[in-house]
Amino acid sequence: MALALLAMAKAVEGPDARARAIAAARASDLAAFETVMRQYERMVLVTALRLVGNMEDAKDVSQEVFLRLYRNLGKVEAESNLQAWLYRVTVNICYDLGRKRRPSVPMEDVPDPVATGDDPQQSATGAERRRVVQMSLRTLSAKERAALVLRDLEGLSTEEVARVLGSSEATVRSQISKARVKMRDFVERYFRRRV
Amino acid sequence: MNCNAWEERIALYAGGDLAPAEAPAVERHVAECAGCQLLLSGLRESMGLLREAHADPVEEAHLAAVRARVLSELERGANRRWRLGWVYAMAVAAMVLLMAVWPRSSKRVAVTVPPAPVVAVAQVPRAEPLLPAVRHRHRPRKVVVKAEKPAEPLVVKLLTDDPNVIIYWITDSKGE
Repeated sequence: MALALLAMAKAVEGPDARARAIAAARASDLAAFETVMRQYERMVLVTALRLVGNMEDAKDVSQEVFLRLYRNLGKVEAESNLQAWLYRVTVNICYDLGRKRRPSVPMEDVPDPVATGDDPQQSATGAERRRVVQMSLRTLSAKERAALVLRDLEGLSTEEVARVLGSSEATVRSQISKARVKMRDFVERYFRRRV
Repeated sequence: MNCNAWEERIALYAGGDLAPAEAPAVERHVAECAGCQLLLSGLRESMGLLREAHADPVEEAHLAAVRARVLSELERGANRRWRLGWVYAMAVAAMVLLMAVWPRSSKRVAVTVPPAPVVAVAQVPRAEPLLPAVRHRHRPRKVVVKAEKPAEPLVVKLLTDDPNVIIYWITDSKGE
């Protein structure tokens, strides 16, 4: 099974192989489409997870992204950067979901941490600190969150982030810096409350 | 020292997003300012924690669930299109069949239409209120008189606009 997956992943490596897979998928070859999907599914799911904050919504977003990909294979085939297209659609679907659900959590709603020692920063387990940092994403605006996730977690350059989000590089820089400071402030305040 | 002005640049510096020309100034300021050193270390720590969390492996079950949902939706769509294709094909076939049969049936209808009976028919307009003399001639629109035999009485059937009123006029050959 693992060998089969590896073989499938290798099958779409390189632009030519990917173009062939997309062309086959356009001709209603679902197996070819599954091969394309396997290459990008983790990227789409984790990006959606950081943007919407929970796995169930992230799965719904991923599903919608790949259904849109299938419906737009013609356009995507012409566009050289499939990855950028997928990021853009993922972010847009997350925006739509966010408008419906309003996911941001005010500081007052964050649950009190469990005191485990004298120095809260030191005593907090790694898992808890990671959880708090993830929680801090929910205090950001949708645009700040998207810019931060694409730049700091997905590793896109500010220029690529600007292209995905349809903004200027200056705007993206401003959003990223504000998001980093807000995230750090949230973590600081969270652990200070434990003292 | 007011460090708010440095906050944005330090945040960009922490992620390597500051223009190279601006970096030395930030480094000099951070070296002199304890508050900004804390800010920079806090930024780096929170960014590092977030990256660690992001790098956690995603359970294959989640990926498989999404894949299964997408493929099942696409298969359902393909089946719907296939069924719809059949419906269109049947509709086209039915239309072709109808067009092939249509000319023959229309001929048959033409043949079976009975010939119009030869009847003495006169149509009289329905009685109307008095109108000016010029328009009040009461002349039948169509009067067809056919005498079957000159010696026998003449029967004239007058049809009015009202289908319930038919006037029969029986007279002798002199018209009395």
